[in-house]
Amino acid sequence: MSETMNLMPTDEQVEIASSSRAFLADRLPTSRIRELIEIDDHAGDPVDDKTWREAAELGWFALGLPEEAGGIGFGLADEAVLFREIGRSLAPGPYLSTVLGARVAAAGGADALAADLVAGAGRAGLAMPAGSSDLWVLDGGAHVLMVRPDRAALVPTSAIEALAAEPCIDDASRIARGRQGAYAPVAEVTAAQDPIHRRALVLSAALLVGMAEQCRDLCVEHASSREQFGKPIGIHQAVKHPIADMAIRAEAAWPQTVVAACAHDEGRPDADFHALCARIAASGAARDNAAHTVQVMGGMGFTHEHDAHLIVKRAAVIASTLGGDKALLAQLLAQPPA
Amino acid sequence: MRLSFSDDDVEFREQARTWLTEHAPSPADRPGSGPDMRTFDLEWQQAQHAGGWAGMDWPTEYGGRGATVTESLIWQEEYARTGLPGIDSRFVGLSHAGPTLMARATAEQKEAHLAPILRGDVLWCQGFSEPEAGSDLAALKTRAVVDGDELVVTGQKIWTSYADQADWQELLVRTNHDVPKHKGITWVICDMRLPGIEVRPIRTMDGHAEFCEVFYDEVRIPLRNIVGDVDGGWSVAMSTLSFERGTAFTVHQVQLAESVEQLIAIAHDRSDDHGRPLLADEELARALARARADCAALKAMTYMGVSRNAATGQPGPEGSMLKLRWSELAKQVSRIALEVFGASALSRSDRQAGSWVEQFLLSFGFTIGGGTSEIQRNIIAERVLGLPR
Repeated sequence: MSETMNLMPTDEQVEIASSSRAFLADRLPTSRIRELIEIDDHAGDPVDDKTWREAAELGWFALGLPEEAGGIGFGLADEAVLFREIGRSLAPGPYLSTVLGARVAAAGGADALAADLVAGAGRAGLAMPAGSSDLWVLDGGAHVLMVRPDRAALVPTSAIEALAAEPCIDDASRIARGRQGAYAPVAEVTAAQDPIHRRALVLSAALLVGMAEQCRDLCVEHASSREQFGKPIGIHQAVKHPIADMAIRAEAAWPQTVVAACAHDEGRPDADFHALCARIAASGAARDNAAHTVQVMGGMGFTHEHDAHLIVKRAAVIASTLGGDKALLAQLLAQPPA
Repeated sequence: MRLSFSDDDVEFREQARTWLTEHAPSPADRPGSGPDMRTFDLEWQQAQHAGGWAGMDWPTEYGGRGATVTESLIWQEEYARTGLPGIDSRFVGLSHAGPTLMARATAEQKEAHLAPILRGDVLWCQGFSEPEAGSDLAALKTRAVVDGDELVVTGQKIWTSYADQADWQELLVRTNHDVPKHKGITWVICDMRLPGIEVRPIRTMDGHAEFCEVFYDEVRIPLRNIVGDVDGGWSVAMSTLSFERGTAFTVHQVQLAESVEQLIAIAHDRSDDHGRPLLADEELARALARARADCAALKAMTYMGVSRNAATGQPGPEGSMLKLRWSELAKQVSRIALEVFGASALSRSDRQAGSWVEQFLLSFGFTIGGGTSEIQRNIIAERVLGLPR
């Protein structure tokens, strides 16, 4: 019998998840993330070159790149499995824009740049529109990835005028505001060639799902062990019901992300519809779950010492990419029914 | 991970769709209640049986189709496209009492009851809830004492769907008051025509009367109708849970997604009092877009549940999550529908709005019946997440 619909991970995907999880726990535990982000205030690389290159050696930036472009040639679903783990770990760094930047560079004929990005020798940041000609640049290095529904391009960071760093809500992310100068991309692809916007929706959804799941797990652990009045606080429905809702939000967002990735990998006509749904479900799940996590943790959740705020902030950053829910909901409504 | 179905499953879908197109009755012809509804539903079950489509999840040894869980999913999806309500009045027989009998009944009991359920000869109802035993089902008090070779039952059940139309009832009674509450319950097959049974329909907020109260005054049920042991009924009642394959809400889920698409189309075409398209209202547009995304995610959850079930043969955490998510979402969508129709939604007979008004009223029951949202959250928190009780 031939293969049929199955959203469960393959053995290979289970391996991708467990090996990346082990790497992240070893190299970028939240204690290390705290050291990195406190080296200097809102400047410098939020992740060091050595760790970034190690991630490259694991094939993270080559995973979904076609073999003829020097990649490993896996599918978007495999990449989503990896990005879910990156999201869960809160690892800082421009994974999304570097992975997709390498695709744009390879497809646009900038072979040397593609090779650099894949090897972890370079990084690409992500441009986010901010009014007419202003834009924000999130993280990155010598290049910036610009993504629109119909096309994507890599531009040199130096081509962005009056670029000035500003303190980011998320200590582990870097943002700078600038003005788009003359549009002179080093590489450009249309959505028909390679739907980078769709890929970005799915991979950012996977990052957000990882965060939503991490929130759920932190809250289950805390509500089971923290005692007040001689009992674990999780016996109270006022505490356990919001955690059940957190679980449902995560349990809905991950399957939808898998559906979107598979729809893309299998060349289905409703892939954009599903990618938008995935990202909308995941951004809601991550932000709502993070907000509830602060509440469940009580006073500790409001401190800088506790990790809850790291998730609130990272979720806010990732959820604002690609125009955020406001733009994405309008795009979804404009789609034909799936 | 894979979203596309196999060639075999695609062919199965084609066959199901073709058969349903040719044989399914029109939903508009279905009477809303009473003996006419009973006749309509049983004839439809008989047609499915004659066509070889009855009992999709029933094993072949009991005359079922013995379908894979993926085929079952496909059948539900195609069935939903007919616009007919799901399993509805046939639910208890096909998906609750029937599977319970398969798991726990004697050969004679199975022989007597399973085939008539599958063939569409009889309707079953469920005598579980009582006025003082709702979410806390094991607190039930309907008393039964053994007298000779009969069980004599006195008490009251409530929220029994279609009790006025059913032939048989899966009935939980208290046979022992001297033990912890879960250990004194007996599961018995009750003939609804027995003397001493009185059924009173309950009119609900939508104006209809699907639910009933059932009163038992020294009703004498043969001991041979007991399934499992006397006082062993709690485990019998719980045995049905393992029959759940994660597709119980598929028809609801598909029809909800379809109604969201209809609302989007209506909001696209209709204008407000100032002549602007309804979709120009950003709040409404966003609510509809979110509902679209939520429906897609609900379907994805269903697919994940089916995938997990196909891999493990076990029900996953989705059952309670799907029920909770679907019911809450159905309420939200009904609210949006009222926004879309404006003042027309005050009329229950408005040509366009009428059916949405009915759905709005009905939707209040979705988060209560079959385990309230609060109970579902307890189940998810305690049984899925392992939070303390």
